Amino acid sequence: RPHSRPRHPGARTMLPLLLLLLPTAHAIVELTYTPVLTQTPPLEGLTTTSTFVLDQPRCVFGGYDNADIWLVVALDKAASTFNNTAEPGTLETSFQGFPDPVSAYMTLNATLANYPCPKPAGDITVLRVGSETSCAKDETRPTCNGPLPGPGPYRVKFLALQGSEPVAETKWSDPIMLRTAKSPNSISTTDSGHSAGMIAITTILSILFAILLAGLVAMLVFWGSESCGGSSTFSKPESVTVRRYNTHHVYDQPAARL
Amino acid sequence: MAKSDDCVHILQGLLVFGNVVIGMCGIALTAECIYFVSNPHGLYPLLKATENNDIYAAAWIGIFVGLALFALSILGIIGVIKASRTLLLVYIILMLITFAFEMASCITAATHRDSLTPSFFLKQMLERYQKSETANNSDNEVTKTWDELMLQNHCCGVQGPSDWQEYTSAFRLTHSDADYPWPRKCCVLDAQGLPVNLDGCKLGVPGYYNSNGCYDAISGPVNTHAWGVAWFGFAILCWTFCVLLGTMFYWSRIEY
Repeated sequence: RPHSRPRHPGARTMLPLLLLLLPTAHAIVELTYTPVLTQTPPLEGLTTTSTFVLDQPRCVFGGYDNADIWLVVALDKAASTFNNTAEPGTLETSFQGFPDPVSAYMTLNATLANYPCPKPAGDITVLRVGSETSCAKDETRPTCNGPLPGPGPYRVKFLALQGSEPVAETKWSDPIMLRTAKSPNSISTTDSGHSAGMIAITTILSILFAILLAGLVAMLVFWGSESCGGSSTFSKPESVTVRRYNTHHVYDQPAARL
Repeated sequence: MAKSDDCVHILQGLLVFGNVVIGMCGIALTAECIYFVSNPHGLYPLLKATENNDIYAAAWIGIFVGLALFALSILGIIGVIKASRTLLLVYIILMLITFAFEMASCITAATHRDSLTPSFFLKQMLERYQKSETANNSDNEVTKTWDELMLQNHCCGVQGPSDWQEYTSAFRLTHSDADYPWPRKCCVLDAQGLPVNLDGCKLGVPGYYNSNGCYDAISGPVNTHAWGVAWFGFAILCWTFCVLLGTMFYWSRIEY
């Protein structure tokens, strides 16, 4: 088959021929795997404001037992211009220089032994990009997995290096956007409506109070006036009234009053 | 005469009964408001921190109104039995003053309950929880209250842990996002108070962190408090209204 790229990574006899062709052709295998954010189990912290969580590349780099598998994190716009020959641990790919002037850094060094295949069922196999805060400012640790400096978007891919030669890579992931945090001043607390209960209480009580005040006023205005007295007045049980008087025997008064 | 006497006695009986009920309800109102003021759910610091503790003011008014209702009901009973115009006039005027205070208490409790929305608690939590270099005590109280709340009710934030991600906060200023996507109290803790699985908590793996918000745990007691004061007070006032109308009618019929 007239193809300059070998289909079988294990075909080591092809390697010397490939090395000759290196200046004119891509020597590394592009695997069909695309790095993705973890879908199962559903994670609350899948993307935060400075980290995100990827699935580990299990059963992807089969046969590359001696290779170092690196994660390349790049700005979305710089993904297409990333050079696979870039070496990890140098200034050009250091995390501390990201995003300016470094536009793609390499981190999370691992070997195939870290990603055994097949994945045991029930295990959560993830990579949290951005979890190392202790080395974020440490220039002596250029491969630090430090927290991402902005919301992105970012693209990632896995790159397998043998020695310092890239031998395999995955596809670039879809752009990953991180969360952006708003200021709490944007929360509006003044817009709470009034519930039906509160309106009912206010109106009914106001009406009742108004009626009572009117009644009190009526009482005071008609105090002393007999116009409402009328037919059904009743007398107090013990105190003296001057209503009925008897010109005759005083001793009969008590009996007559009752 | 006999019919008028019967009417008198019936009216007197009704008024005495009405006043007895008012007296008992006054005692009940006092007891209920004392219970609320004693802060059984520990939420008072959250309300005090933003000077929005009018629900507590309403409960305090309720205590004194309840005692006043009890005292006035006794005065009313005496006035009705003695059929004394002055006593009953004093009773009516004092009752109207008490009515006005209780009305204020009910409306205050209901209005301020309406202002205690999730946004209100969210904003307060983001601005005050774990605020460092704080000079005043109320922020420490807010932090302690929230910690207690999240521990007791196995909840996180107001609507969920994503509150800490969606908004910047005083907490975020001192705790980096990568190490503390949300406070440690949101993690499932073991007997010593340490997270069972810190990585699981930071990732947000179900089972290692508390995924539901605390708003239900807050709004439950606050609602009970506010509606307890407001609706019970409203019921007492409706009853008092009827008794007062009857008393006014009785007063106008007394000979002097």
